[in-house]
Amino acid sequence: MIAIARRLAGHLARGVVMILVVATISFFIVRSIPGDPVAAHTQKLIEQGMSPEAAEQATRVLYGFQPKGSLWAQYGDYISGLFTFDLGQSVTHAGAPVTDVLAEAAKWTVLPVLAGTLLSFLVGIIMGVYAAIKRSGKLGDVLAISGSLLHGVPQYVLGLLLGAIFATLIPILPSDGPVDILFEPGFNAGYIGSLAEHAVLPVATYALSAYGGWILAMKSSVVTVLGDDFILAAELRGMKRSIIFRYIARNAILPLFTILALSLGLLLGGAVFIERIFNYPGLGKLLLDSITMRDYALMGGAFLLITVAIIVANILADLFYSVIDPRVRSGEEVSA
Amino acid sequence: MSVLLESSSTSAAMRRNFWRGVWRVMKRKPSRLVGAALMIGFVFMGVFGPMFYPNPLPGDPDQITRPPSWEHWLGTDDQGRDVIALVVTGSRYVLLAALVTAVITVVVGTGIGLFSGFKRGRWDTVLMRLTDMKLTIPGLPLLLVLSTVWKFSSAVQMGLVLGLLSWGGVARAVRSQTLSLRERGFIEAARGLGLSTSHIVGKELLPSMAPYIAMNMLIAITGGVYSQVGLFFLGVLPYESNNWGQMLNTAVFRSGALTVPSALGFLLGPLLAILLLTLAIVLVVDAMDEIFNPRLREE
Repeated sequence: MIAIARRLAGHLARGVVMILVVATISFFIVRSIPGDPVAAHTQKLIEQGMSPEAAEQATRVLYGFQPKGSLWAQYGDYISGLFTFDLGQSVTHAGAPVTDVLAEAAKWTVLPVLAGTLLSFLVGIIMGVYAAIKRSGKLGDVLAISGSLLHGVPQYVLGLLLGAIFATLIPILPSDGPVDILFEPGFNAGYIGSLAEHAVLPVATYALSAYGGWILAMKSSVVTVLGDDFILAAELRGMKRSIIFRYIARNAILPLFTILALSLGLLLGGAVFIERIFNYPGLGKLLLDSITMRDYALMGGAFLLITVAIIVANILADLFYSVIDPRVRSGEEVSA
Repeated sequence: MSVLLESSSTSAAMRRNFWRGVWRVMKRKPSRLVGAALMIGFVFMGVFGPMFYPNPLPGDPDQITRPPSWEHWLGTDDQGRDVIALVVTGSRYVLLAALVTAVITVVVGTGIGLFSGFKRGRWDTVLMRLTDMKLTIPGLPLLLVLSTVWKFSSAVQMGLVLGLLSWGGVARAVRSQTLSLRERGFIEAARGLGLSTSHIVGKELLPSMAPYIAMNMLIAITGGVYSQVGLFFLGVLPYESNNWGQMLNTAVFRSGALTVPSALGFLLGPLLAILLLTLAIVLVVDAMDEIFNPRLREE
């Protein structure tokens, strides 16, 4: 228990350092963008007929920081703001706090990613067991090649193919946003049905792109377990195939749970493509829009949040690993 | 003199055996031959393909965003240009950038991995912390943010940036290979003989890792294709020259390929090219795996 607590403390410290590094990167990138965005906004307001003082005041309100003052003072303000979840204000969302805009977008990313990951996990591990058992036969070959292909093909190719097939060629599924605007938002059948219908293609894309990885990981995990003595013993004792199957699956699945946490983090980072293709208002689309609209506070915030999610997923994966694997729990650093 | 002749003839024989082994591995699964053929086809397309077409490609105002036909097998784009011609002429940018990405990824990754695994100690700790950090920061969002500052104007620049952002995985893998190799007998013997570090690394370690590095290089090429095509597809980079990612972007967001069936060919052209390239590399890596790991061969 103490060992786990010590690991956790180490991870948390490293995570905080990582977050600071990423925050610093995004701060300095925003400041090194050619054509200072703050000055540009002030200039635009002046051109629209505002007096220079009023324009500067309005810009200051909008961007949430003093445009004057040394770079280091601005940096200090930015970092101390992080600790109070103050990421400044979004220019494109009528000056709403970046944190609020992010929270609103997060649910459109997290739910589809979760659904897609769990779906692909379930199907992938079952297929992985078959791929391992039948690995020298035709079925195993087909499963393994399909796994490598799906694992290899980028998410946006899968998304575009699914969209081309099910939204354009055989138009049975929508590909334009999260819900039909006809329906009143709320807990009614029409709205929820529309939500579900619009979620099919994005969730299927998440699931398909993760599925290949699960097949391959489960296959190699099962192959290792198949060589273990207890399987041989079970076969010699003449146990039923289905029971042996369960033995194998249960032992092979443990290492995969850690990858589950990691892949959740990865999918969050890759959500940009799927959200752009299917016009889903999640974090990835927010990041993209903030770049095209030159909303730099929002851009920094979205980038930071995606990274934090991945760092947290990494920490969880590692903790989970130390809970299920007693060799790690004993306190020795195995993974170093 | 005779000793010299003898050794050169045995190495020639070894080489002949190696190629015979390669041929045997390739022949056993016809899919691998398909992979190799596809790969050669892509190289040909990138090097010579653009020479077969006029530059700029002629457009036809009467043939805007048409579905596939006998004249245009995959239809036309929003300026009436043939989609296949666009895919072929666009391949050079994509493949060149991917090649640069892969070379930089592999050179930097191998260098850091070898150094870190061989030296151990403090440098190892620092470099691996750095690598972990690089691996944790999500690549695509970082690239998007960077695209506000950098303009990635040529294929070489694009490859350079992508390569510098993707050596992390290779560095980790090469380091762990180095760690396991350096404990083997032949490396210890070389150290015991007092051979220099550069000799051990260059003449003993690198050759035994070469196949592994070559495979990483192939995989890095696909990675390079995916990320640059993806960046152009998302539309954060300025349109410089015709390439697959830009075609995807125009097809989906300008011609509405996800709602208008006539623009489908425009979308499928570059998608097909990416899928075939992935297939080629997956199949060739599978064959290389078996050539260099004889234990995988099922006799």
